[in-house]
Amino acid sequence: MQESSTLPSQSASESKLDPRIKSVWRINDALWIVVCAIICIVPFLIVLLAADEDAAWAGTVMLLEVIAAVALLVVFLGVLPSIRYARWRYRVSEDYLEIRKGIVWRKHYVIPFIRVQNTDTRQGPILRAFGLASVTVATAAGEHEIPGLRTQDAELLRDKAAELARLAREDV
Amino acid sequence: MAATNNEGARQHVHHSYIWLGGLQAFFIVVVAVAISAMSSIIGFIAEVGSRMSLRDAMAVPIIIGLAALGLLVLFGIVVATRAWSYKHLYYEVGPSEFNVYSGIFNKKRVHVPYQRIQSVDQKATLLQRIFGVCSVSIDTAGGSSNKAIIIPYVSKNQAETLRRELFARKQWATQGGDAPMPLPSNAPTSAPTASATVPGTANILDVGDEAWQQVGGVFAGEAVFTGTVSYEYGLSNKELLLSGLSGNASFIAIVAVVVVAVLQVVAGLFDLFPSSSNHVVEMATSMAAQQSAPVIAAWVAGAIIAVSLVGWALSILSTCLSYGGFHARRRDDRIEVERGLLQHQFQGVSVERIQSVEVRQSFIRRLMGYCEITLGKVDAGNDSEDNSSANGLAQRGVVIHPFVKKDRVPEILRGLLPEFAELPDEPIAVAPVALRRGLIRRCLWQGGGFWLAVCTLALQLLMHCLAGIDGDLAVDDGVVMLGWTDAIATGLYALAAVLLVLDIIGSVLWFRESSFAMNERFMSVTNGGFSTVTVSFPRNKIQFGYTKTNPFQRAARTASIHARTAAGVGGTTVRLIDAREADALAWLDWTKPGGNRTATAER
Repeated sequence: MQESSTLPSQSASESKLDPRIKSVWRINDALWIVVCAIICIVPFLIVLLAADEDAAWAGTVMLLEVIAAVALLVVFLGVLPSIRYARWRYRVSEDYLEIRKGIVWRKHYVIPFIRVQNTDTRQGPILRAFGLASVTVATAAGEHEIPGLRTQDAELLRDKAAELARLAREDV
Repeated sequence: MAATNNEGARQHVHHSYIWLGGLQAFFIVVVAVAISAMSSIIGFIAEVGSRMSLRDAMAVPIIIGLAALGLLVLFGIVVATRAWSYKHLYYEVGPSEFNVYSGIFNKKRVHVPYQRIQSVDQKATLLQRIFGVCSVSIDTAGGSSNKAIIIPYVSKNQAETLRRELFARKQWATQGGDAPMPLPSNAPTSAPTASATVPGTANILDVGDEAWQQVGGVFAGEAVFTGTVSYEYGLSNKELLLSGLSGNASFIAIVAVVVVAVLQVVAGLFDLFPSSSNHVVEMATSMAAQQSAPVIAAWVAGAIIAVSLVGWALSILSTCLSYGGFHARRRDDRIEVERGLLQHQFQGVSVERIQSVEVRQSFIRRLMGYCEITLGKVDAGNDSEDNSSANGLAQRGVVIHPFVKKDRVPEILRGLLPEFAELPDEPIAVAPVALRRGLIRRCLWQGGGFWLAVCTLALQLLMHCLAGIDGDLAVDDGVVMLGWTDAIATGLYALAAVLLVLDIIGSVLWFRESSFAMNERFMSVTNGGFSTVTVSFPRNKIQFGYTKTNPFQRAARTASIHARTAAGVGGTTVRLIDAREADALAWLDWTKPGGNRTATAER
């Protein structure tokens, strides 16, 4: 129990994600939006360049798409991450994991550790750049992810979940 | 009998795998070839038929002979490959796991730890039944992509032995036995006279089933003692017939009849409209149309009704046949259900693998006061060769009674599943505000009638606008068009109103009947409406629970509760919308480990 005291979630109080997760979300969403926007815009760009006759409509569509992309970027980079961060809470208690999340549809999960089948930590390139990792807790009927914990916290949480999961008598 | 003692020995499947399976594969190949070569064969025959000379007539037997030879060679090849793969298909009942080996070039070995076995089923087609063989499929809980392990063409005796062995070893492994398992004794420890058969549960088709039991099949082998039956029941004549009558197909048939009748009435109405225009030509055409149209319409309507009635009769027949010889029994610590007069199906699931008990009442069954009981279990990913989907029986889980009076449910559960006897009986109703929210949700957002009316209105307005734009081009055509449009729209509005009324009744019923309940070991959720479903499941089968709220629910202080179990393929969520917020929070506390003790202490 001593070594797990560094885990901020050990107490009964709820804990939040690492604040750096907001940057991770921003980068992630920005990449997605930019890629999708490029995929949508390129065909019309080709039309605009290749078409001999008047192809002003393609320019209009491109303009609309750029506006849409910018609007999405503003929403996903400026507005959503802080709200999402504020709404994301989890609590690791002695024998269960509790997660609250969601902005419009708020969800409140209770996942007993004895039902957990496996846990793992995942780290994509963006998360790694920030020194973060996400923990995935899988039950026999679906899995849950806690994104953005400091790497050592994530490993502690994973080990704790794995240890408690091992105590489960029977799986399904 | 000797097969039980050879732990770890290779056991091959029955040799009918070669010839019976080969025959089946051969027919598939022949049909495929025939279909692909159909046009050329027909062309050839037509050509020969047109200019038949003596020489051609001589050639015909030769050609037929060649074709027969080709088929024979093909059959030989198919059987040879089956024989080859037969040599490489075997299974082993090992000390800690069950292994199936297969494949000629690509070797495949499937390991199944005994603890992971969910259920052992067996299935036999008509041909297989005659020869006394069946396919055994073993379900494991292997995530979402898990497939059942199928051992094809095993003799009945071998299958029973295998099943007993697997369940015994599973129980042994679950109890934590590390030592080699004691061999099960073949002699029954107590004579199976203790079976408490419910009286008066025999039906006509049981005679056929008994005949099957007597004949057994050519290679069935002698019966194997697999455990003591403590409770058993079948279906009475009435239950068998009514389960066929009240199935889903009958609902579809009734709907079809109603729709056709409505269409007839509407068509009758439409006949009035063309005559409102005074043109001679119009009159003439409409006269001609009126002469023939009702006759045709009547014919079409009659044909549709006839087809749906025949379909209904067929579905009743197939349901009766597939539930013929239905028996559900409790044998030691597992539940076995077998059914099917032509295609035999046997499902066996051990009690601790049962995820939920579902009591389902479709609308028709509800009117009669009957229901269907299904056990939820972890299902294997379906393989498409499942024939049962054809006759509407592709249900998930194990149907332990297709048609039973509602008040007999506790009695059956007590007998078959004493573990599930103490289900919670203090239902917690949904919040009072749920009625208003349910009406809005079901009648507006999800209401078919509402959206039908909206779409009709939009179309009607659009038509009127279009008619207004090119108004003076063809005034009379426009008037006729608008007349038609308005008539159709009126019909659709009437339909929408009927649907809306049904939605309202459905929401009120939902509100009055929906509830959830929990006690120390179980939870049950009832979702009402025209058809009601009550799902009960033990607390330790809930994988996780969650509440979900949207802004409106937060304003109304309600929450939806969701309990997720591993039943079905990849899990099932049992949902109740709009429980009181306090109740939902109490339930969430109850799902926490140890929460059942504190929750019951408070009461």
